[in-house]
Amino acid sequence: MIPREAVQRIAAALGEEAVEEHPARELDGLAVAATLRPADGEAVARALEAVGACGLAAVVKGGGNRLGIGNLPNREALFLATERLSGVDEFEPAEGVCHARAGTRLAAADAIVRPHGWEIPFDAPGETATVGGVIAAAAVGPRAHGHGRPRDLVLGLEVALASGQRTHCGGRVVKNVTGYDLNKLYTGSFGSLGVIEGAWLRLRPLPERTAVFEASASRLEGVGARGLAAARRATARAVAIAVSVRGAECDVRFAIELAGDAPSVERDAAWIEEHCDARAAEAGAVDRMRALQGRDAEAFGLRFRIDALSSRLEPVLAQLCGRCTSVLVYPGLGLLFADLRLDRADAGQVDSAFRFAARSARAGGGSFVCESAPAWAKQGRDVFGAAASALPLIESLKQRFDPGRILNPGRFAGGI
Amino acid sequence: MSGLIEALASVVGQDGCLSRPEELLVYECDALTLHAAKPTAVVFPRSTDDVVRIVEACRRFGTPFVPRGAGTGLSGGATANEGAVVVECSRMNRILELNAEDRYAVVEPGVVNADLSKAALPSGLFYAPDPSSQLACTIGGNVAENSGGPHTLKYGATTNHVLALELVLPSGAVVQLGSATGWTVGYDWVGAVVGSEGTLGIVTQATLRLEPIPEGVETLLGIFADVVAACRTVSGIIQSGLVPAALEVIDRRTIAAVEASVYAAGLPLDAGAVLIVELDGPAPALPAQVERVRGIAAREGATRVEVARDDAERQRFWRARKGAFGAMGRMAPDLYVHDAVVPRARLPEVIEKVCAIGDRYGLKLSNVFHAGDGNLHPNISFDRRDSDELERVIAAGAEILETCVEAGGVISGEHGIGSEKRDYMGLLFSEADLDAMKRLRTVFDPDGVCNPGKIFPTTRFCVESNPRARGYDRVPLES
Repeated sequence: MIPREAVQRIAAALGEEAVEEHPARELDGLAVAATLRPADGEAVARALEAVGACGLAAVVKGGGNRLGIGNLPNREALFLATERLSGVDEFEPAEGVCHARAGTRLAAADAIVRPHGWEIPFDAPGETATVGGVIAAAAVGPRAHGHGRPRDLVLGLEVALASGQRTHCGGRVVKNVTGYDLNKLYTGSFGSLGVIEGAWLRLRPLPERTAVFEASASRLEGVGARGLAAARRATARAVAIAVSVRGAECDVRFAIELAGDAPSVERDAAWIEEHCDARAAEAGAVDRMRALQGRDAEAFGLRFRIDALSSRLEPVLAQLCGRCTSVLVYPGLGLLFADLRLDRADAGQVDSAFRFAARSARAGGGSFVCESAPAWAKQGRDVFGAAASALPLIESLKQRFDPGRILNPGRFAGGI
Repeated sequence: MSGLIEALASVVGQDGCLSRPEELLVYECDALTLHAAKPTAVVFPRSTDDVVRIVEACRRFGTPFVPRGAGTGLSGGATANEGAVVVECSRMNRILELNAEDRYAVVEPGVVNADLSKAALPSGLFYAPDPSSQLACTIGGNVAENSGGPHTLKYGATTNHVLALELVLPSGAVVQLGSATGWTVGYDWVGAVVGSEGTLGIVTQATLRLEPIPEGVETLLGIFADVVAACRTVSGIIQSGLVPAALEVIDRRTIAAVEASVYAAGLPLDAGAVLIVELDGPAPALPAQVERVRGIAAREGATRVEVARDDAERQRFWRARKGAFGAMGRMAPDLYVHDAVVPRARLPEVIEKVCAIGDRYGLKLSNVFHAGDGNLHPNISFDRRDSDELERVIAAGAEILETCVEAGGVISGEHGIGSEKRDYMGLLFSEADLDAMKRLRTVFDPDGVCNPGKIFPTTRFCVESNPRARGYDRVPLES
């Protein structure tokens, strides 16, 4: 329960309209009873100062799509929502860059740049996904294969540190080695180092032509190789494979999106139709696959994200399908999203599932993150798997950026 | 000090440790000869274990150390400030793995950039970052500086191609960062280390992404009456949504230097500037792209556009670009290469201002640059023995940087800050911004022993140039 005087103190710093007390909303077992909605970067800084001064903590909330990723919070926290930090405040059509405030929804930003021949190159699932949220979670969707990942697309950031200091890093230009590349550290840090206020983004030119295909199969053999071959076509922007496992059988669906100049797309389209036994599909086929990635795991379910080398996709997929109910694969990105169902709320079964995910990740030459799980299943575990030899560095960085453990407390890798 | 030399020699052998003054002379600077500092010793490790033991010895004797690649850097990033020991990684030059199926290579830091692409060629792959010095520069140096090159425009800089690193920390501990899959759990340490200019540790192994060789390439040479028209063409190409592999501008003075040198490529001496446009990708796409570029160039006043008919002609076009810096050796004994970046749409106006600055200071200023990235390389040819000219070079350089920052740009696109530009960091960053960078530094190097005196500004300049930086000197390195 957040003390009344703490809420009043924060409201005094931010204005009454920026503080909402509400019925407790659960975040991994933690009851969050208030949301702060700072109106601008200065207010974000004041909010952090006030939260720290009150001995509280804050979980930054963008669109809320990735809030479930994280370890159990280790102290009481408020939501710090970025929804009022909204809008594309600079856009240079001649330059192919824009500056968006953190709480800007991807669709809203895209609607501004698209008429000028550009697109926002973020493809994370969730209709409410925001620019800041995607960067903080380094969230990708299937089109990251063609667009690149957030780490490659963020040119500059404004970030309020836990102390309330407002900082910036990077810039608005497309090439920059001026000082340390803190953009990379903040991207994917899940709000554990600071609050992203806004970002300069590199846009992608709209393709002249797109073409979408679907295919299906009832056997796993060759699925990974087929998907990878499709992903390695020059114009492949997204390839997604959804596998539903029903006992010894499975149902495999492919969605393939090509994008580029018309002659190249037509050439690759012919190849896809011939070699992937695919047929033309409506534009939303890839988006429907992406929606599977965005779902929460079922009750008594766990969802793992596993990354694997291309050459090991096939055996890792086979291994996962031996135990999972469904697997979504982005072969061009080397990502697999695997759903496991537990019989009951049993810690032993969760242990076993985590060991299985770790074995699968090792087999793929990669790592795993448990992206969705009920709070009880996270107890005593690090959903980010093993951070290995970098763990002391993670702890040291957190100590330097957020010594009061104000931001996303306990939820990032290593339980920091 | 002899104790340290003995300790270092016990690690790398007598033939791997230089300490006589005449041996050290060549290691006093990198390719930016304006900044020099005498190292205590230069050591040549052959393994990660050697590097660990070198670092431990330096720590025992309280001597800082600086990693060094081929010494081709242009920002004084590898100078041995404070009598540092130079850890020269050229003997760690093995390609440890080349995995064609998964498209990556694992290399030691001393592998020469171009040698990696050569090794990958039979597999139909190449390593994309291609600094102009790629025949000499090493991967370790590229990682430290986040090196770019002409093809950064499409393929990105070094940071977009490093998947994993082995790093010897300034404490002597060895950490593995990142993964060959390109995904990582926790913070993006690889992203933080790439471009950190050797201040966070010594890279002893790098896992690098390899790209498939594009199926088609077209290289165009546009001839313009002046450099501004060439820059307008660049802006037009970017705005059209085309993503060429490279867009490089060479101005009149550079053309003259190149054509008078062994790199002569038959460029027209009466041209105000030439623009090299390289398009690559799926073969069916290229004919239409060539025509679009021709159209934009014509609209902006190109007097002629040539398309390379074969690989020999393509190489001829590129010879002019890649030989430009070498050719400038004919113009004066010294060369100062700037590296600021501006928004691409601002190129025409900024390049005019840069040329005007050179003229106003009475300097020989020429331009050859990565126009597609907005990455300028104003080159000032001078003679450092002429103290008056040297002063004008420094003053003009400062004004160029200020002009670029005012246009929304930054002070370095690919050469790094090093010791050269650290006192200009205040043009871009506040005290709080720099403090955030220092927090990262102290995670890796709390004692400031790894490549000291780089990146971060000296207090005096920072405070004077930027009121927000007041009090910077009170931020301790240790925290």
